[in-house]
Amino acid sequence: MIAAPAIAGTRLTPGLALSLLLLAAFAVLIVVPGLVAVQSPYDVDPSRALQAPSAQHLFGTDDVGRDVFARIIHGTRVTLGLVAGSLLLSALIGGGLGVVAGYAGGWFDLAAGRFADMILTFPPIIAGVVITGVLGQGAGNLVLALAVVYLPTFFRIARSGALSEAARTYVEAARALGFPEWNILLRQVLPNVLPLVVLQYVILFPLALQIQAALGFLGLGVAPPTPDWGATLEQGKNFILVAWWLSFWPGLFLLASAVAVTVLGRALRDRLGGD
Amino acid sequence: MAVMLARRLGSAAAAAFLSALAVFLLMRAVPGDIVGQMLGQSGTDRSAEAALRAFFGLDRPMHAQFLDWLGRTLTGDLGRSWYQGRAVTAMIAEAFGVTLQLALFTLAVSTLIGVPLGMLAGIREGTRLDTAIQTFNLLGLSAPVFWVGLMLLVGASAFLGWSPPFIYRDFADDPGENLAIMLLPVISLAILQAAAYSQFVRGLMVTELRREHIRTAIAKGLTPREIYFKHALRNVLIPLTTFMGLILVQILGGVVVIESLFSLPGLGRLILSGLQGRDYPVVQGALLFVVLIAIGINLLVDLLYAVIDPRLRP
Repeated sequence: MIAAPAIAGTRLTPGLALSLLLLAAFAVLIVVPGLVAVQSPYDVDPSRALQAPSAQHLFGTDDVGRDVFARIIHGTRVTLGLVAGSLLLSALIGGGLGVVAGYAGGWFDLAAGRFADMILTFPPIIAGVVITGVLGQGAGNLVLALAVVYLPTFFRIARSGALSEAARTYVEAARALGFPEWNILLRQVLPNVLPLVVLQYVILFPLALQIQAALGFLGLGVAPPTPDWGATLEQGKNFILVAWWLSFWPGLFLLASAVAVTVLGRALRDRLGGD
Repeated sequence: MAVMLARRLGSAAAAAFLSALAVFLLMRAVPGDIVGQMLGQSGTDRSAEAALRAFFGLDRPMHAQFLDWLGRTLTGDLGRSWYQGRAVTAMIAEAFGVTLQLALFTLAVSTLIGVPLGMLAGIREGTRLDTAIQTFNLLGLSAPVFWVGLMLLVGASAFLGWSPPFIYRDFADDPGENLAIMLLPVISLAILQAAAYSQFVRGLMVTELRREHIRTAIAKGLTPREIYFKHALRNVLIPLTTFMGLILVQILGGVVVIESLFSLPGLGRLILSGLQGRDYPVVQGALLFVVLIAIGINLLVDLLYAVIDPRLRP
């Protein structure tokens, strides 16, 4: 809702238009994958294992004869949907904590800041590997891992935003007028910090996507046989020299979605004047 | 300078301590430890289980286990692997050799490609060349590293009829074989990092070339070479140093996936296999090591920053 006016004021370059189209297509695939992929992503048929792409199986078949096209299309929800959800969780918790920490300061700010620093000492992918490696496969653990990894980034951006807002004259004026603190925080500070968090969300999305895919590739993502782009890529690794299509398509979809979100992020950043 | 260093060291030590504690607790907070894995599903022998747990020290209270580990770590003893019985420090040293070689090669290649590309794009802002380089940046940053690695494998095999050797060899053992093994992993990682470099340097260059002193230099009639290399590059160098540290930390993270793809016995594989086997000493030691390296790089960057930019010296 905050992003909407920001997009509206942005000049629609061909690149941005293409990226918005792609994102709309991915959104459709997340909601109704069955509309595009009529075959089942789970139907095993060893008699048609490792078939090259054909009219019947657009992206070929995998080592147990499942239709790769169906698996990729249905994997959109698992891959992009999970990243979107985890980042949203991260933005809500990290951003919320950051706003409070920046506005209130004191011991809470200090403790939350230390916690954020601790997570930041790990390179993101390592933190993701450790969390999912310890907790095991599964969508829930994957979401948790991704949310935790990006918590400090949202925390910091919201904190610094709230910090600079809290020093503004209008906050002082509101306080002088006798508005309660929570009211100032929710009605005045939060709306001004929100665009920063939204922008950060879009900028972090491609990075989180890479980590989601890497974890899937390492066998630490969702549990099989759920279709996931990173996991399908890994599956193809063992047949790479005889069946390139198994790894090629999921990688291409990862690339396309990352490009689309990155282009959108840059347009938003130019518009919102971040750095 | 000394005060700044002391303060940074202090907060770095606090962060390292907290992360060590977090890893320690996380590993023990979830069900399933090495004893469960050794005994398997059938193992319901209570006395054997208790004896094994006592052997690994897992029967003791959590805080005692942590303090014990911390105390030994501070003396440089990371314990022994519960699976291999080897000293964890020796295992880390061996694995780090592989990872370091991979990281330094990648850093060298990506700097040599990315920095000139970025400068070129910045100088020729708005031209077709700039668009082409920016497209490379966008694709390079968006393509998953392991996918690039796999596609390189396919390409090398299909078009050149070449495949890298399967068994890892040390550079000291067999330099030719070692370089052949490292070639594709380094290229896959370097494409990503070169794109990151190029993107970053382009932005710096564009801002730099618009500034007053550059315009003065142009007005003074200096040659483009003098303007780009003497005036612009010098100011680009400072943020570039910070970025180099960032890239190095990123490479250290990125190697986990690449090592797994190309079966390189580096730090990433050590951490992964340790996690799979619930080999606590190995995971704790290796993670602490990675965290310390990352902290060290950041500290080094800060110091370097102060050396290059006198304004930051207190």
